[in-house]
Amino acid sequence: MNRAFDSISRRAFLGRSAGGLGALALAQLLGPQLAFASNPPKPGHHRPRAKAIISLFQHGGPSQMDLFDCKPALNKWSGKPYPGGELEVHFDKQAGNVLGAPYAFHPRGQCGMELSELLPHTGSIADEITLVRSMTTGSVDHESALRIIHTGRFLAGLPTLGSWVLYGLGSENENLPAYVVLGDPGGLPVDGERNWSSGFLPAIYQGTPFRSGDSPVFNLQTPAHIPPQARANQLGLLKALNQRHAARFPENTELTARIANFETAARMQTAVPEALDLSGESEATKKLYGLDKPETEEYGRRCLLARRLVERGVRYVQLFLSGQPWDTHDKNAERLKGLCAKTDQPSAALVRDLKARGLLDSTIVLWTGEFGRLPISQGKDGRDHNRHAFSLWAAGGGFKKGYVHGATDEFGYKSVQDVVSVHDFHATLLHTMGVDHRALHFPHEGRDASLTDSEVTGANIVPALLA
Amino acid sequence: MNRCQHVYRESTRPGVRRVGLILGVAVTVMLGAAALASDEAKSKTPVAPAAGNHWSFQPLRPVAALGSEASIDYFVRRKLREAKLAPSREADRATLVRRVAFVLTGLPPTPEEIAAFVADKSSGAYERMVERYLNSPRHGERWGKHWLDAAGYADSNGYFNADTDRPLAYRYRDYVIRSVNRDKPFDQFVREQIAGDELSGWKRGEPATPEIIELLEATHYLRNGQDGSGESDGNPDEVRTDRYYALESAMQIIGSSLLGVTMQCAKCHDHKFEPLTIKDYYALQAVLYPAFNIDKWVKPNDRVVHANLPGELETWQAAEKKLDAELAELKSQFKTWQATNQPGGWRLFSDGFNDGEPLTKRWSNTAPTDDAPAGSPAVTLDSDKAPAARVKDGALEIIEGGGSGDRWLSTKDAFEWRPGAVGQWIQVTFDLVATKIDGKGGSAERIGYVIAARDFNDNGDTDRGNILIDGNPGGATSVHVDYPGADSKSRGSIGETGYKSGHNYGVRITRTATNEFTLEHLVDGAVDGASLKLKERDLPEGGFAFEYCCGRSFVVDNVIIEGSNDSEPGWVAKNERFQKELAERKKAFDKATKAVAAKRSPKPGRIAWVSDGSAEAPEVRLLKRGNHKTPGDVVTPSFPAFLKTRDGRVANFQPAKTTATTGRRLAWANWLTEANSPQASLLARVTVNRVWQHYFGVGIVATPDNLGLSGAKPSHPELLDWLASKFIESGWSMKALHRLILESATFRQTSAPRSRAVERDPDNHLLWRYPVRRLDAEAIRDAMLAVSGRLSSKTNGPYVPTPRNGIGEVLVDEAKPDAFARSIFVQHRRTQVPTFLGTFDAPSVVFNCTRRAETTMPLQSLSLLNSEFSVKRGEDLAQRLARDCGTDEVAKIRRGFLLTTGREPDSAERKMATRFLAEQRRVYADRKDADARAWADFCQSLFGLNSFLYLE
Repeated sequence: MNRAFDSISRRAFLGRSAGGLGALALAQLLGPQLAFASNPPKPGHHRPRAKAIISLFQHGGPSQMDLFDCKPALNKWSGKPYPGGELEVHFDKQAGNVLGAPYAFHPRGQCGMELSELLPHTGSIADEITLVRSMTTGSVDHESALRIIHTGRFLAGLPTLGSWVLYGLGSENENLPAYVVLGDPGGLPVDGERNWSSGFLPAIYQGTPFRSGDSPVFNLQTPAHIPPQARANQLGLLKALNQRHAARFPENTELTARIANFETAARMQTAVPEALDLSGESEATKKLYGLDKPETEEYGRRCLLARRLVERGVRYVQLFLSGQPWDTHDKNAERLKGLCAKTDQPSAALVRDLKARGLLDSTIVLWTGEFGRLPISQGKDGRDHNRHAFSLWAAGGGFKKGYVHGATDEFGYKSVQDVVSVHDFHATLLHTMGVDHRALHFPHEGRDASLTDSEVTGANIVPALLA
Repeated sequence: MNRCQHVYRESTRPGVRRVGLILGVAVTVMLGAAALASDEAKSKTPVAPAAGNHWSFQPLRPVAALGSEASIDYFVRRKLREAKLAPSREADRATLVRRVAFVLTGLPPTPEEIAAFVADKSSGAYERMVERYLNSPRHGERWGKHWLDAAGYADSNGYFNADTDRPLAYRYRDYVIRSVNRDKPFDQFVREQIAGDELSGWKRGEPATPEIIELLEATHYLRNGQDGSGESDGNPDEVRTDRYYALESAMQIIGSSLLGVTMQCAKCHDHKFEPLTIKDYYALQAVLYPAFNIDKWVKPNDRVVHANLPGELETWQAAEKKLDAELAELKSQFKTWQATNQPGGWRLFSDGFNDGEPLTKRWSNTAPTDDAPAGSPAVTLDSDKAPAARVKDGALEIIEGGGSGDRWLSTKDAFEWRPGAVGQWIQVTFDLVATKIDGKGGSAERIGYVIAARDFNDNGDTDRGNILIDGNPGGATSVHVDYPGADSKSRGSIGETGYKSGHNYGVRITRTATNEFTLEHLVDGAVDGASLKLKERDLPEGGFAFEYCCGRSFVVDNVIIEGSNDSEPGWVAKNERFQKELAERKKAFDKATKAVAAKRSPKPGRIAWVSDGSAEAPEVRLLKRGNHKTPGDVVTPSFPAFLKTRDGRVANFQPAKTTATTGRRLAWANWLTEANSPQASLLARVTVNRVWQHYFGVGIVATPDNLGLSGAKPSHPELLDWLASKFIESGWSMKALHRLILESATFRQTSAPRSRAVERDPDNHLLWRYPVRRLDAEAIRDAMLAVSGRLSSKTNGPYVPTPRNGIGEVLVDEAKPDAFARSIFVQHRRTQVPTFLGTFDAPSVVFNCTRRAETTMPLQSLSLLNSEFSVKRGEDLAQRLARDCGTDEVAKIRRGFLLTTGREPDSAERKMATRFLAEQRRVYADRKDADARAWADFCQSLFGLNSFLYLE
């Protein structure tokens, strides 16, 4: 059966499966409405390794050669013209000479993975993660590259990875949104809400941003002037009247789903604040995430919230940073230091905490930006965009432990060995979640659209990344 | 959040093979770039032989040839009989009038309309009722919106993050509404949208007539697609890609809204499923290319023509002049009062840039306590080579050209930013003259300035200061301490008023305790919005500086730094009185200037149109694999070979005779609508099918944008052809088509289920009943406005803005005029779909939307229960009921139900309502407005009823 139609309301399926109708006939039999009521958990295509993804998204293009990909040649050639041939440069008028890597690398963990001294905490979980040094993407423009890493294509308006995951697998806790975005209180990331859009997938699959403050979800709180009893009476009236209406259309599951949704909405009003309440967390846990230090407090809080959400069955959680702080066009060294001080400890703490609670096997923690940076300087002390190489790491959910995948050239400019495209990585992520990337599609613009569009992109699972 | 549905019939999954990574931005656009073209096409083309015979590509037969008994009911009932099913009885009158009113106007019937129709037992009552709604101006607003969805209408350019404004698009929206209301023949409507400029015969500079203006407005259809070419700033390849994208979008919209063919696949290779070749694609591109000449590109904001009715411009200019004078008078009164009454502060610094001295006398690129210039490159003084600062026309120009990085222009003097005693203050203010230099380039994204400017490069937390006040044109101004660098800290924001030229801005620091200061935002001398707290260590001695960053250039004047002057006797009290009165006067002044601004109208006659650059056709080339870096043969316009006449001919392309244009678009539009042709037949089928979908929720072909081989099969093929033939024979009259459907028994059936029929045809493909359908987003919002008595009378003109508020919600500001306009008049910004509408599946437009998704989710319930919009409409409806029925509880309950659900409550429902109201009054017993609250809660609950949200 064509998975594209799995989530269509039960009504469209009544009495069908027995008839053995294929996808071809099924599409014509689509009900008068393309109705998507509720989002129950759905079996994937195969047994999943992971049930949830936490994406710690690092906006701006973290500098791979300063953090993850040690290149001695950079310091050897520092200040001299780049000897490696032609470079694709975004800001061509500011291109300078080779820029040395300012921070030392050390082997970490049993596996001996080389990581920058700026990442001591990530180093401490080296034996838990897969580090991919050979990523590539399709654009050196932030917004296009963001859309590629989130949706597979550079165009705006397409569904994000989180939406596809929800569409394929449904939700495990209907009292919480299944795709939660934990944004930076400092402001929206570049490209704003598009980073969690469900594109042409139904709205039920879009990411829900949780804001800090009293009303983390739009319209979550009952208006202050309506006391609980008044609201309960309203819900009672609605239920009674709607049930009388529904009794005239007993075959219509959409009407009953809408009745049930008023109650789900009411449950969300308590479930969401409960999930966001950190008062029950131990001091040790808070300290692990760095909630006791000003530089890690805010990011650590969101990492901890991510764990709490995944514990409660949320399928996809994504953290964003305000603006695009990793975009180190100048003061590369200084800015990296500040950013690592903010993100290193909480990111590693999340992996440790999940492991300690037995959740790491079923949860993927993903740390990535949208592209990498160049081996030469931009201006005096910055690095420009690079789509030919970037690094990311993933932990848990079937990813290998203490493993380094792929390699770049001598200067870290280009991925040359075991190259992984964003599409390959998407295919691999879906695979670990129990979803076949070639079989998860949705009708759009007259064709079957998918996240990886493998016919065009050639996306393939990368088995080497998986244990 | 594009909630647009495209149903796709067949899943053809070729085995996956590695085709190599395709990384170029341009190339990833479409299916089957690069390697799919040759070998794969050979082995996997599933269609070729039958393509020419595909049903939808055949010319229609005349109505007479389809049998004398033909009718909607005839075709529907024949299918029902085959399935051994009977049609349903006619719905009751109250149901019918609600159904017709919503389908034709998108609004509920009024209680009076319901009563009149229910009571009218004379013959022809139904037809008369239908005519009333068909002739209502609201009809054009409803069906105009259906067409605008298909035509990809949006009020923004999309493509880039900026999603820039399309301030003139509304004229096309109004053209569409007018055309629908006038029942303009649909073939003419299509010709106008493709070639209105050529049809008009009008030449630039000539006086225009209303008819000509309408034709020019119509061409906006071709520019509805996303177009980022106004903001392109990449390398030349990227710029070219962006331009082609606008042209390709226009073609994709033509394909899905007019031809019902997935055109876009043929951009890179012959279509895998349809008989459309890559040559056909570029032959059509050659038709549009003269209007979208990539080499002589006109950016969207410049693709504007002035066409005025005689005298129109003069009248407008006179009105504007009057308003300018009113505004100048208001300003002068306010300023004079301020200048006369303001108690003089203790002036620490003042520069009006009028004394002819070089800037270097008082200003520097290095802060007074710093040892090196700020930023690299640093600001050059008395120069215009960015980054630079100079005095021009008695004002200070902040000239920034760099891509990123910070720098500043600081005073040479340092100031003490910590007033000595509690209650004392220091403030800095300046006039913002312009937000760009010489009117060139984009407006500065921010107007930034720094107080306590000292060590630019410090990396530690110990030495604070460097407080960046980052003025925001959109509102709240952000504040960062110890800016820039990794130690920089955001402290949130102050104020609420945005930065616009012509106003005075600044900040004031007041000591409020031993180690506490407030930082307040000043606009035109008065305190504005929220403030924040600072500590002693935040405010070391330092300069005042203007912040340079990222191409933000602006012009300022009259920089003044002053402190409270409490050494003078009585000064403090005098100043307090002044500040109080200033705040009041400022409020009145703002209100008055806003009232003047509201009277302004945009310059008349500006039309965002599409027309060829010249009469001479530029060379157009086929692009191999859809890539402009690999141009192929020269192509000229021609018609696709699969649309053949009965005798197997394909029409020859002959440009129409026009003077200022190539005549290509007019020739193509004439061809498309040519009587008895296969292409006009296809156009009629696509159109009739989409109309049918708006009546029954699903088209006769379930894929409204795809009637090709890969589209769904028609459920009632003969019915579709019969309707299409009738449509053409009626002179392409939409209203005639509506009547045909509305008067059918099929449309008038009840929605009640019958168990046997539910079992056999659960999804009602055979139309044994009228489907139960949820109202779409616009109908829900508009109906809530209508029944609560709020709906505004706006019927045309610029959109009602939908700003995003501080927490990310997109709302219509209810304090603004026309906040209660119908949803079609609300801003359609691609990236900013109003939250309420988006929750109910209103799409954000990517290309266009021929069918909407329909979701049922808890967020919708939350929105109906808790959103301000919903709560307020409940209150409005309660007030309306009190106006309409006084205190008669039963009458109010009955009317509430009638307004929202179109029917009276039965006795059980009345009892539930009465009991509910009594309980609510008890809950609110300790409040004065207990009764009003109870009614408001009741009325809001009515909006959550499925009998309100659904149509039977």
